[in-house]
Amino acid sequence: MFNILKSTALGLGAAALLTTTAMADGHGGPYAPYADTTLIVNFPAHPHYDAVMRILPEFTKETGIEVEVDQLPYLKMRERQTLELAQDEGEYDLIAYVVFSKADYVYADQLENLAKYFMNPKLADPSYDADDLIDGYVYNIGFAGGGKGYLEGKTGSLFGIPYGSETSILGYRKDIFEKHGLEVPETYEQMLDLACKIPELEPGMGGVASRAASGHHASHAFLLHLAPLGGRVFDDEWNPIVNNAAGVKAANALKKIVDCGPEGATNFGFGEALGSFLNGDTAMFLDTTVVAGQINDPDKSKVVGKVDWALHPMGTRRGSQTGGFGIGIPANAENKEAAFLLMQWLTSKTGDKMVALAGGNPSRFSTHADADVNAKFPHMATFGEALKHADPDWRPIIPVWGKINADLGTTLSKVLTEGLDIQEALDGVAERTKAVMTEAGYYTWN
Amino acid sequence: MRPALANRLTPYMFLAPAAVIMAIALLYPLGYMIWGSFRDWSPSQTIGEAEFVGFKNYITLWNDPNFRESLGVTLKFAFFVVTFEMIIGVGLALLLDRDLRGMSLLRTLFILPMMIAPVVVGLMWRYMYHPTVGTYNRLLDWLGLPTVDWLGQHALMSIIIADIWQWTPFIFILSLAALQSLPRSALEAARIDGATGWQQIIHIKLPLMMPVLIVTALLRLIDAFKVLEVILVMTEGGPGLSTEILALRISRTATEFRELGVAAAMSNYLLILLLGLTVAMFAFNRLQEIRAARVRAAVEEDE
Repeated sequence: MFNILKSTALGLGAAALLTTTAMADGHGGPYAPYADTTLIVNFPAHPHYDAVMRILPEFTKETGIEVEVDQLPYLKMRERQTLELAQDEGEYDLIAYVVFSKADYVYADQLENLAKYFMNPKLADPSYDADDLIDGYVYNIGFAGGGKGYLEGKTGSLFGIPYGSETSILGYRKDIFEKHGLEVPETYEQMLDLACKIPELEPGMGGVASRAASGHHASHAFLLHLAPLGGRVFDDEWNPIVNNAAGVKAANALKKIVDCGPEGATNFGFGEALGSFLNGDTAMFLDTTVVAGQINDPDKSKVVGKVDWALHPMGTRRGSQTGGFGIGIPANAENKEAAFLLMQWLTSKTGDKMVALAGGNPSRFSTHADADVNAKFPHMATFGEALKHADPDWRPIIPVWGKINADLGTTLSKVLTEGLDIQEALDGVAERTKAVMTEAGYYTWN
Repeated sequence: MRPALANRLTPYMFLAPAAVIMAIALLYPLGYMIWGSFRDWSPSQTIGEAEFVGFKNYITLWNDPNFRESLGVTLKFAFFVVTFEMIIGVGLALLLDRDLRGMSLLRTLFILPMMIAPVVVGLMWRYMYHPTVGTYNRLLDWLGLPTVDWLGQHALMSIIIADIWQWTPFIFILSLAALQSLPRSALEAARIDGATGWQQIIHIKLPLMMPVLIVTALLRLIDAFKVLEVILVMTEGGPGLSTEILALRISRTATEFRELGVAAAMSNYLLILLLGLTVAMFAFNRLQEIRAARVRAAVEEDE
């Protein structure tokens, strides 16, 4: 009896072993050499990456490569990465980075140039179709060394791939617009006009929900208007031109939006602005596409089913923002090739569609046009259209930007709360920016 | 080794572990910060790679209007919070220094705010100050009064109120402890001599509590210069720079502007300021003691 049991157990063990081997073999092809690797990746706590977490098990199943995710609040992420990337041997094999970390990481030689991976026939998937990736995002988030050092151009190359990118879009309340027979604004003039008309038509309701709080928030909101209104922070010689007519117009637009916005709008960060729209306190919302998932979530929103989307209104041109995250391989990573395989898998057509269906932000044109994705998220077609106008140069991505951004944001906050004159305020910003740029060596060749 | 020498070295040997720990835990980081403040140092570099720039960071800061504004905000904030907290804290201690029923429960309740994590305090007050759904504006609205733009127009006042709420209990418990350890004989003598309640407070209790109060005020002052989380959560330094205290500016300089050298120089300015204050306070305290000793000596001579 005992012997029979023993042999059965042995047989079962052998069968199990065989199955495991067979499964490992099943992972064959390009993934086979890395089947037992465990990748450690650093992702932000962000709706897109929450969706990524849901599709990662699929990757492990398909390739046998394990993925361990260190998910951090996105503002904390950069601090952690700065420490990790400066080590001789880092902990992370793949990182998601915020768009303006690109300048610092590439400049400090901390991100892998992706050329050698895409050249390697054993790693690069021929059906990847890089042309399908959204141009604006690729240049904004992945590219470095081209025009102005951070844009598309003949001298540039790829250091990361956009993943979890966003652009700006106008959300509006269908019910309110229908009730008063209002047209969805197509131009800035129409939008600003409506912004101040809404509080008259619907007492207690603000026009547009916008960020405005001191610092990054106010600066972000201003830049959102600057590009479509024809402005830029710098001209082609790096002279600050934020104080020209377009700049003043953008600041005026921001002030008007905040003045006609919901109560307390001068102090709104992103969370409060979104909160006021979800709470039904404003009729419009002009900001990132990442919020779409929350609008129809009854736990978070009082405006379920009442919101529709339109393109970021046009000023003298179309120019919606480009932001969000990209993924790249740290120069000090341990498993670079396997990390590339994960990166390629996530951003492939299949991966992109999978993450979109899980509630993430797709990075490919084809995903935005995909029938299944559109059936599940009807706003995807509008978002895809908006992406065609995504402006990679709406905000400069240079190492000293953090400082200029903070100054711009605090100065604009003074305009909004202390009544500082707009021209005077922007002249001040331009002057201080010039000093920062001089010190950073941007005028060495002039 | 000769016994005499060994005897002389013994105390130093006992001190050595403490000295080593002190050097590693205190002096090394401090030296690192001072060394870093003379460099043009980005977080992507190691300190050795950073370029030495002498006093440049200090000079740039001194000429930076934003830094000066931030310093002004810090001084204003520290002055108001410490003044109000001292008045309210000591006042409460004087009121509650008696045998009431349920006193211990009351005391525990009073020190609750201090036990709450600063981030939570910040969030709590931020929601209470919310322009439309916040407690205060809803109350004002209900009373038919005009609402106040707490974190907009009156941001500095609002964060001062929140800090007073959180830290008055600290002054309160220390003052209460000081009061309860006062010599009962002096108070009894005063009562027998017919001193009124106010006279007892002004001439007996406060002067006797003074050494404790000075240390308490100093501790609060040092803390007020370093407060960060509550303000970070409530206003992030805005609107404009109106609530951007130094600690917040240091943190932004290091993380947002990525200028570790400048942030270190700013920390050193703050350190020098606090060091100056501490020395001044202790000098004042010492002066008081000397004067008291002289008075005592004079009284003894008279006798």
